[in-house]
Amino acid sequence: MTITRRDFIRSMALNSAAIAATTMFPGIIFAGWKPSELPAGSIQWSKTPCRFCGTGCGLLVGVSGERAVAVKGDPNCSVNKGLCCVKGYHSVQVLYGKDRFKTAYVRRNGELVPTPIEEALDIVASQMKSSIKEKGKDSVSIYGSGQWSIPDGYAASKFFKGCIGTNNVEANARLCMASAVTGCLTSFGLDEPMGCYEDIDNADVFITWGNNMAEMHPVLFSRMLANRKSKGHVEIIDLTTRSTRSSLAADKSILFNPQSDLAIANAICYEIIKNNWVNQDFVSKHVSFHKGKTNIGYGTEDHFKFKDKQENVDFEAFKTFLEDYTPEMAEKISGVSAENIKYLAALYGDPQKKVTSFWTMGMNQHTRGTWINNLVYNIHLLTGKISSPGNSPFSLTGQPSACGTVREVGTLTHKLPHGVVMKESSRKMAAKIWGVPETNIDPKPTYHTVEMFRALDRGDINFMWIQVTNPMVTMPNLKRYRDGAKKDGRFIVVSEIYPTPTSDIADVILPSALWIEREGFFGNSERRTQHNNQLVPKPGQAMCNTWQLIQVARRMGFEKQFPWSQETYIEDIWNEYTQFHDTPKHRMAPYKVLRERSGVQWPYVEGKETRWRYNGKYDPACKDKDFDFYGKPDHKAWIWLRPYEPPAESPDREYPFWLNTGRVLEHWHTGSMTRRIPILHKAVPESYVEINPSDAKTLGVVNNSKVKISSRRGSIVMKALINGRGNPPEGMVFVPFFDESYLINEVTLDAFCPISKQPDYKKCAVKLEKV
Amino acid sequence: METSDQKPGPKPDLKPGKLFFLFAILGVISLPIIVFLAFSVNTTQVLAKVNKLPASDFDHNAKQFYSTYSQTTPAYMEGNSTARTLNYYYSLRQYPGSPPVIPHDMVVEKGAEQTCISCHERGGFTQSMNRFTPVTPHPQHTYCGQCHMKTITTKLFEDIDWVSVQPPKLGRSALAGSPPPIAHPLQMRENCIACHVGPGTVVSIRVEHPMRGNCRQCHVPEEIKTLFTRTQPDKK
Repeated sequence: MTITRRDFIRSMALNSAAIAATTMFPGIIFAGWKPSELPAGSIQWSKTPCRFCGTGCGLLVGVSGERAVAVKGDPNCSVNKGLCCVKGYHSVQVLYGKDRFKTAYVRRNGELVPTPIEEALDIVASQMKSSIKEKGKDSVSIYGSGQWSIPDGYAASKFFKGCIGTNNVEANARLCMASAVTGCLTSFGLDEPMGCYEDIDNADVFITWGNNMAEMHPVLFSRMLANRKSKGHVEIIDLTTRSTRSSLAADKSILFNPQSDLAIANAICYEIIKNNWVNQDFVSKHVSFHKGKTNIGYGTEDHFKFKDKQENVDFEAFKTFLEDYTPEMAEKISGVSAENIKYLAALYGDPQKKVTSFWTMGMNQHTRGTWINNLVYNIHLLTGKISSPGNSPFSLTGQPSACGTVREVGTLTHKLPHGVVMKESSRKMAAKIWGVPETNIDPKPTYHTVEMFRALDRGDINFMWIQVTNPMVTMPNLKRYRDGAKKDGRFIVVSEIYPTPTSDIADVILPSALWIEREGFFGNSERRTQHNNQLVPKPGQAMCNTWQLIQVARRMGFEKQFPWSQETYIEDIWNEYTQFHDTPKHRMAPYKVLRERSGVQWPYVEGKETRWRYNGKYDPACKDKDFDFYGKPDHKAWIWLRPYEPPAESPDREYPFWLNTGRVLEHWHTGSMTRRIPILHKAVPESYVEINPSDAKTLGVVNNSKVKISSRRGSIVMKALINGRGNPPEGMVFVPFFDESYLINEVTLDAFCPISKQPDYKKCAVKLEKV
Repeated sequence: METSDQKPGPKPDLKPGKLFFLFAILGVISLPIIVFLAFSVNTTQVLAKVNKLPASDFDHNAKQFYSTYSQTTPAYMEGNSTARTLNYYYSLRQYPGSPPVIPHDMVVEKGAEQTCISCHERGGFTQSMNRFTPVTPHPQHTYCGQCHMKTITTKLFEDIDWVSVQPPKLGRSALAGSPPPIAHPLQMRENCIACHVGPGTVVSIRVEHPMRGNCRQCHVPEEIKTLFTRTQPDKK
């Protein structure tokens, strides 16, 4: 027998493939999934927004039989145009973890015992009633999140603020984008970005401020890369405190000292004025100048109070103020060379270039978060690069409906769906729409998130209902708040889908229906509202969060305010809620339109979406075709004089390292969902501490060495990662917070921005020891 | 595995065997070089130039397809190897059409761009892995790490009850011998050549007639399962 050349190659290739397969994939079973009886052709595709981050990608979920089996990007959704990230492509797997809560649990004699859900809801209602009776309405509270679907947050606000009469309504979005809100409110008088994602296709320069978009908003990052690739001249500048994937993809990465972004932004303004790059026409017509309090504290003590006081100033005062921020002086604070600061100013100042700034947690989780938001707006206002295609200062959100449910519905202690509790007209409007007496709505805000958990610890709050979030992983200075929540006399209700450190401390666990197991709406970063239908059945006794709230409200005697049927309550709530926003500044699309389309941007006026607000060319709420910053009474955008102030805690001799915390691409938030998705867990199975190679050498630490990280508040031991995906500079370590086995928030500090009350998870002082 | 050809038969004459062996080795060494040189197209640049649109633009992008076809050399098109099986292909996926995991070690992650597509855009033989590289059908998306992961453990955090549909059946011709319809959605996988032509592809889905460039002249997507029914005209 002869062996032909072809046969020889074939057999060689086959053998080598077989050997390669067995050596490269030990243990992998040669089937990525268990195939059902149903063929590929049985799939029905339906649209939904993604469950994870605030990008708001449109997905097409494939359902076969009664199960979600596949995902495609929704080509009709302008956010992602058919492309998702790995979390989105595998998102449907989150429905099918084997430890899913399918029944309620009630703690009896210290043990969580399975209980029929109706009985558990009775217990929740009677606990609330008795707490209100004994300790007053402000002893009960609800803590939700930006993962709340819009009807969830709306029902919670109406129930607690309108019916019970307490402002104890907060959401974990306080930990995530409160500074973006106060930044928008102080600079423009209205919340949420003026621009939209189309800015990504139009800008010539992108400057990202402390923002690792490649991992946190990968789909938008890809869109930015695509713009650069197709145009050729587009530049991406990464301003950062730690080198990341985004730094590597950027044209230039500039490292700065933590907190010094305040000085850099002011120095950029100094240079813009010095070089006559100010857009004089825009500034004289549309900008006014203001000053607030300085030396404003850090909120680390209980009962901390702060109220800013604004003072009108003029352009000359602004110029004088900036004299302290020459590039050379800013270099001393920031570690960024004066040359690089001048380079940044030249990019912002070049009248030929359209500039978009992006930020997320780097600027928002900041003890001067409101200030740094103001300062980046200052740059865009001085140059007039705002509210037009490609010119956009843009805070990206982290949660799928932080904008939709928390910022727009107003599930924060001082907010109502329209306006604030302090304002009589806002209370009147809410009382009228909700069908409650005006006196029900308390004009005084109570506790922001950190203070709410402090109140729980002190015993001022006895009852807390936590829905769709995991504070026993995410609260800074965690040990205090976990110990507080576990004290006698505290009653914690947790609406959840999987066991978490938060459900571990619950007295009642209510099983929730998730995402496409119920109908709902999300609102993404760019003012886009996205509807989803129920696509698959709820497991066991799982119940939609909105319906849980309605059930308890009815048990407490508020049938009149919650009259809706189970068939139409989502639509009914939408129709009631949108009455709050029925002006050209914020009109929402009708239910029917939202059902049909892959997301609609507000203001939605006369059948048209508004891409750029405050610009008469695009925004029907403007007086004429010019810019009109109608959020402020003077119809101007406000430039704020905000100085550099140091962080609450900086490294010292005893605690010589910065601790920075954050996320990785594969895991979203606390990982309670993404860790149950096989390939995401297999890719990043546990957390780690990133250490700079030279620090590691000094400490005698190599990859996978155990390292103890301690602060004045607590310590954890975890594995080191050197030259990993990210690389902190010398003197800084970075820890992803998704892993409940390594609770890094026992180490972090509960200092916050006095204006936004958002904690700073990016800066505290720690020491490292090799274990 | 089909290695039966290797079974020793009656003892052959050794001399021609040795000569043949030498020739075969030369062939193995030179083939990848030829293939690599032959198939060196930068589809993304072509695409960006042709379209004057952002490379991310989503469409059933015929221009991309035709330019890849015209830039792919006959040598590459005719190339084949039997390394990849359909089972292996599906083992990297969570459902038909999900982004596959990365089954090999990577060079240190440097830059979100370029490292993956420097091999997977063009295909060819990879010496270090001793196999032909599969080609991505969507080289315009350069941030590969957004969807494709390397797994580092096989253990799960919690068990999952994950079921998906059966993979599409192959060769479902409507009539005996007629061209089969396209068995999968085209989104992100519009470029037929990437997965159905050349030595990096899965054997059972490799097309027998790679030189015919206009695939969708004969193979059409199956958009819906129902048959045509005529709507009754309005009686008014």
